[in-house]
Amino acid sequence: MVRGGQGGAGSAWGRDEPAGSPSAPPRNRIIDAALACIVRQGVAKTTVDDVARAAGLSRATVYRVFPGGKDELLRSTAESQVATLFTELAARLSSENDVRGVLVTAISGAAAAIADHPALATLLDVEPEVVLRLLAFDEGSELLRMASTFGAPFLARWMPMEEAARVAEWACRIILTYVVDPSDRVDCTDPVAVGRLVETFVLPGVRALRGPAADEPFDLTSAATDRDAAGSARRSREHDHRHHRTDHHRKGEEVS
Amino acid sequence: MPPVADVRQRLVVAAYACVARHGMGKTTVEDIGREAGVSRATVYRYFPGGRDELLQAAVAHGVAEFAVRLYEQIQDAPSLEQVMERGILFAHRAIVEHEVLQRIMETEPELLLPQLTVEGNQVRAAVAAFLLPYLRAHGVASGVDDAEAADFLARMIMSYMTSPGRWDLDDPAQVSELVRAELLAGIVVGPEPSAPGPSGW
Repeated sequence: MVRGGQGGAGSAWGRDEPAGSPSAPPRNRIIDAALACIVRQGVAKTTVDDVARAAGLSRATVYRVFPGGKDELLRSTAESQVATLFTELAARLSSENDVRGVLVTAISGAAAAIADHPALATLLDVEPEVVLRLLAFDEGSELLRMASTFGAPFLARWMPMEEAARVAEWACRIILTYVVDPSDRVDCTDPVAVGRLVETFVLPGVRALRGPAADEPFDLTSAATDRDAAGSARRSREHDHRHHRTDHHRKGEEVS
Repeated sequence: MPPVADVRQRLVVAAYACVARHGMGKTTVEDIGREAGVSRATVYRYFPGGRDELLQAAVAHGVAEFAVRLYEQIQDAPSLEQVMERGILFAHRAIVEHEVLQRIMETEPELLLPQLTVEGNQVRAAVAAFLLPYLRAHGVASGVDDAEAADFLARMIMSYMTSPGRWDLDDPAQVSELVRAELLAGIVVGPEPSAPGPSGW
């Protein structure tokens, strides 16, 4: 699992080497070929044979790497795209300095990446049902869980991990609704429009569950604590530097 | 000859009955005509778009029936919070227990989902239109556009209905928390100042 931008998606998804070239691992070549096929002809018309041909590999090799055939290949392709998106977002999210910035960058960045993704754009246009099926019910909840796990550490700099996980899932819902069903009012790829949305509907809701002391800022030290002691230790190591910096910054502002 | 509305309505009900019996993929114009007791030509007179138009009308019929039952649940709710909580609890149970809907979602979700989401952002528009009077009656915080708030609420509610995620929508306490935090906070409290405060917001 990609966490907090540490480690990146490379090892987790087997994408350590550039894909597509004949020297790349078969898995990566197959996934790149599958993407090319989907852009050209959509999911329904893409066969394992098409993908094998596009990858310059035999049908038998494709089945050796993906014994589940087309279904497994499609799933792995989708997962690799999610991992790529997470990796790109992680770099940007860790340089944000407040909750608003993390939310706006996550929402507008993910929406823009999805809108610019050639295969996804084709699918949403030609075979929306393929994408929608991944977004509803059990599959949808699984996607939300992944996005929440990915996003929570970035928000946990300012709130308890449990709360951060909730807000991250919420942000993922916002991304999905505006990507699948674009709005005339809010262009979700535009950071300015998303900024307004976040200020109006999201930030008050982030504060809402903080109880009577809602005007008090979260204690940034306890913000790093998690129910999971090991996770907490690891995370505080990862975030130590940032916490100290933010803490000082905040104290400085309070004095002035 | 019966009035237009009757024949149309009969065909919609017949289409819904056929879908309930055979699913969406296997329902034909002939099935629907037979069920309604009218000729194929009559079906096309009322629904020139044929099968697709009829299926869409059948889905709309299902949604409308659902909306009537939903309204019964919330019409006497004393507060905006109660409207949202009762509505979500009811809608979640109704969806989970809806046999036709569940069967289609299991066997042919690809036929239904686009109607409910991409093509059918009428559903979102309908939910928003349903909520708008409640928002107006309650009043929204200054700086919040009530139509925009209704649209945002509709989007969020549809998201929780299709994928509950972390929320147990059968648990009134959780639903109450959900409504307070992720649905009404901004609408009742109002926008955050755009300059981040000292706490790093």
